[in-house]
Amino acid sequence: MERTRWIFIGILVVVLLIIGISVVARIVTGGNSPEETELVLVAPDTIMVRVLTALPVEPWVRDAAAAYNATNPTLDGVPIKVEITAMDGLTALGRWDRNDFGALEAGKTLENLTETEKAALKDFPTVWIPDSRYLVELANASYKERLGRDVFLTDGEYRARPIAISLFTWGIYESRAAVLEQRFGGVSWNIIHDAAVAKGGWPELGGDPSWGFFKLVVPNPNKNAGGLTAMVAAAGEYYKRTDISVADFTDPQFQAWLRELMGSVTDFSSASAYTAEDFALFGYSVGDGGQLLESDLLQNMQGILTRWDDPLKIYYPQYVTWFEFPFTIWVGPETSALEKNAALEFQRFLLSDEQQKAALAYGLRPTNPNVPLDATPESLFVKWKDRGVEMVVPRSDAMRNPDREVLLALLRWFQLNVAE
Amino acid sequence: MNNEFNAKQRTTWIAIGVGIVVLCLCVIVVAWAGQSVWNSLRDRRSTTTGPEGWDSATAEVTVAVSPGMASTLAKLAEQFNAQARKAPDGSLMLVRTVSVVPEKMIEQSLANPPFQAIAPDSSLWLNQLDRRWAEQYGASEGETLIPIGNRRFGDPVRYAASPVVIAAWESVARGLGWPDRDIGWKDIQQKATADATFKWNHPSTGHASGLLATLAEFYAGAGLTRGLTEEAATAQTTLDYVRAVEATVRFYGEGEDVIVQRLAAEGRNFLDAFVAQEQVVIAWNQAQSGERLVAIYPAEGTLWADHPLALLELGMPGEAPITDNQRRTYQAFVAYLTSPEVQQQLLSVGYRPADLGVALDGTGSPFTGDAVDWRQPQTTLQIPSASVVEVVQNVWWYTKRPTNVYLVVDTSGSMEGDKIALTRTALRSFVDQIRGDRDKVGLVTFASSVYVERPLQALDDAGRTALYTAIERLSASGNTALIDGVWEAYSRLMIEGNPESINAIVVMTDGQENSSGQSLSAMQRRIRQEGEMQIVIFTIAFGSDADEKLMRSMAEIGGGQYRRADETDIEDLYKIISTYF
Repeated sequence: MERTRWIFIGILVVVLLIIGISVVARIVTGGNSPEETELVLVAPDTIMVRVLTALPVEPWVRDAAAAYNATNPTLDGVPIKVEITAMDGLTALGRWDRNDFGALEAGKTLENLTETEKAALKDFPTVWIPDSRYLVELANASYKERLGRDVFLTDGEYRARPIAISLFTWGIYESRAAVLEQRFGGVSWNIIHDAAVAKGGWPELGGDPSWGFFKLVVPNPNKNAGGLTAMVAAAGEYYKRTDISVADFTDPQFQAWLRELMGSVTDFSSASAYTAEDFALFGYSVGDGGQLLESDLLQNMQGILTRWDDPLKIYYPQYVTWFEFPFTIWVGPETSALEKNAALEFQRFLLSDEQQKAALAYGLRPTNPNVPLDATPESLFVKWKDRGVEMVVPRSDAMRNPDREVLLALLRWFQLNVAE
Repeated sequence: MNNEFNAKQRTTWIAIGVGIVVLCLCVIVVAWAGQSVWNSLRDRRSTTTGPEGWDSATAEVTVAVSPGMASTLAKLAEQFNAQARKAPDGSLMLVRTVSVVPEKMIEQSLANPPFQAIAPDSSLWLNQLDRRWAEQYGASEGETLIPIGNRRFGDPVRYAASPVVIAAWESVARGLGWPDRDIGWKDIQQKATADATFKWNHPSTGHASGLLATLAEFYAGAGLTRGLTEEAATAQTTLDYVRAVEATVRFYGEGEDVIVQRLAAEGRNFLDAFVAQEQVVIAWNQAQSGERLVAIYPAEGTLWADHPLALLELGMPGEAPITDNQRRTYQAFVAYLTSPEVQQQLLSVGYRPADLGVALDGTGSPFTGDAVDWRQPQTTLQIPSASVVEVVQNVWWYTKRPTNVYLVVDTSGSMEGDKIALTRTALRSFVDQIRGDRDKVGLVTFASSVYVERPLQALDDAGRTALYTAIERLSASGNTALIDGVWEAYSRLMIEGNPESINAIVVMTDGQENSSGQSLSAMQRRIRQEGEMQIVIFTIAFGSDADEKLMRSMAEIGGGQYRRADETDIEDLYKIISTYF
């Protein structure tokens, strides 16, 4: 045979050997590539809807999720399962901001990920229910810097929809409230400030000496989004305006007033994220009264009556702040279209008449206009009517949500002047 | 010829063409397979790296618990484990508890702790952990929008609470005006400074009750009832006041559980009053006959031991992360602790349950008598920020009652090897714990004879260095002149000690007395005769061969405590004993 032919045969043998070894290596490593995985669209066994929810609505949302799961819901024939994780809105915002949940970097897609990286996304939240819409806007602002786009939509099919409302109201132990009414004729931030700075404490105000000094209850802003809202409400009343700017917060006179007010908080350090529960568990010993979420106060009203010798009375402020708990679906590639659509199904369930009625038993005001506050006998608005709860809020001024700069100024002020 | 050449040339070109095509094919296949191999290696690398810790499927959780709650939580963990709950993969859910002083718990939680969850007696400690964690790992300015959420532990839950009170014998309390008038910290402080026979105690600042008592002294000293600042806490007038009050404290110590043990062992006259959780008063009255204890809720305000439980978020570099099963076990344990049955159990032993549905004044509740009052406390003392609390903890060392302590150490032949090495470490740890500028420590060793390695001296830089050097030089040989060693230390304390200080001897041996000229009975006679200045003797039996009977008797006649230790806990024991000074 000619030399050329031998060379030709030799090349063929070498090539066949290389192809053979490569194929064997491919089989051994189990190697279907990410591209192949994506090319073949395999329906999951279960569509998981992971909901990160703010603390005040967590008991209701958790019970609703259990009720929803019990209906054996499906989407395109695939079962849906809703999982609930409770997290304070500001804490969650901090985690979004630091990208603790592991959102993909700009330009990165699921196809480029290793199996390990994909597995790390298995707990990525499908839905976030923060306390307020302004937290969503702040998270979007943070991701816009990083990814150049919003990750939570505020309009369109996946837009954030409020699922319940709760107002910030005054909750004061009745014996203490009676003294304040007697002395000042009502309850407001200015009156609370005057009570807080009374050098002689309760005896000077006409109260029992054993009560010590007036003790304010305000959530710790580092653990509960309500802490910042309380400060915004206080600023509104101080300035008699609904729109507060950074300049307002940096005004030295206002800061001195706010510092005196916050100086009457007995213990920020041990306060948990569940301020109203603390208020009930430790009673008037840690706080004579404070501005807290109406739903939290109503949920703990029975506990306060069981545990303490003094019931709580509710008052509505002139400058009112509230949480509306927007149901917000993550629109990034970290969750599948099926998961997003399943989240919408759960959102519809939460907004149904039945679940909105169930919210009344948690002291939450329904966003579904078909459901009045006295729609069920279990409604806490009915049960605690004699404690001062109002179905129709008295005439008041609604505070505007703080913008990013105001929020940061408040947090920084709190950190420097109160926490440290 | 030409045709033959053309045919050959054509064959060659075809061969080259086929070769190129096949080579291209080959390159594609190799790339295709190579990517697969690379992905496989990458995945394997990312799944196999990581620190050693526990099995990635383990469902076992260890909870560090403050000593006062340790026995209750251990019992509840046992009940939980008896239910033999399983994780979805079949792993058995197990909860173990370990008793740790809160201050140490926080220290250990910062890096590679030997536990996954913590249950200190107060949220104050969680706040300190937050602060220290943020100092180490907090985002710097500008790195993050919201400086919240980067915490070492998950959201804590509370399962019980108990206010800190002044526990006093009923006759003592009535003498102070109870129950007709409000009694405050100032009343106790005044009583203690005016009446030399009044014996009271509070634990060290490593416990919530000790910290509260100390804060109350600083508030009183600064003339404030709220708004304590670093400047006010460190003002000379404040320090003088606190020092005068602290001079009346009979002894410090590990915590209220140990105080109760000593009260049970030594009887009614051991103390007139002590600072403890309200639960201690209830538990004492349930268990003991004779005069009862009553709870005085300080008029200026108190503090709550609110018993938080939190899962640590482990997983820093070099640290095994919490497994999914461990999270499940923790959640199941939390659900168990907050269940109605367990909440009732906690009520029955004197805690206020976290479940607000449980009434305190119901039938059978231990809150129905007048020794405690469920309507109290009316007010709480304002807790300063974590930084001020830390200042108070540090400054306390310079105000507390000073200590003169002799460490009496066995260096006989039986201590050779690991024992003497471990003893050196333990002694160093003891000296490290003594931080007061007025505290003095001396070192006496005994083998066939007694050697004064270091006389009593203040622990300034030079004194501390000299003591460390003496400890490093310790070596073992000879017999065991135990009683002579204690005798020598006692004699020296009688000369060098000070009645205003806590005067103490901490003696350790691993063997039997066999070389002393003095006897235990002579020692006892001497203590009786020369007892105007109290010298407390703590004894440690190291290992199983130590003369337990002698050590127990010596602690008894010296009004101190007897403890056992082995190689695993000798260092911890020395640290614990240091809290008495």
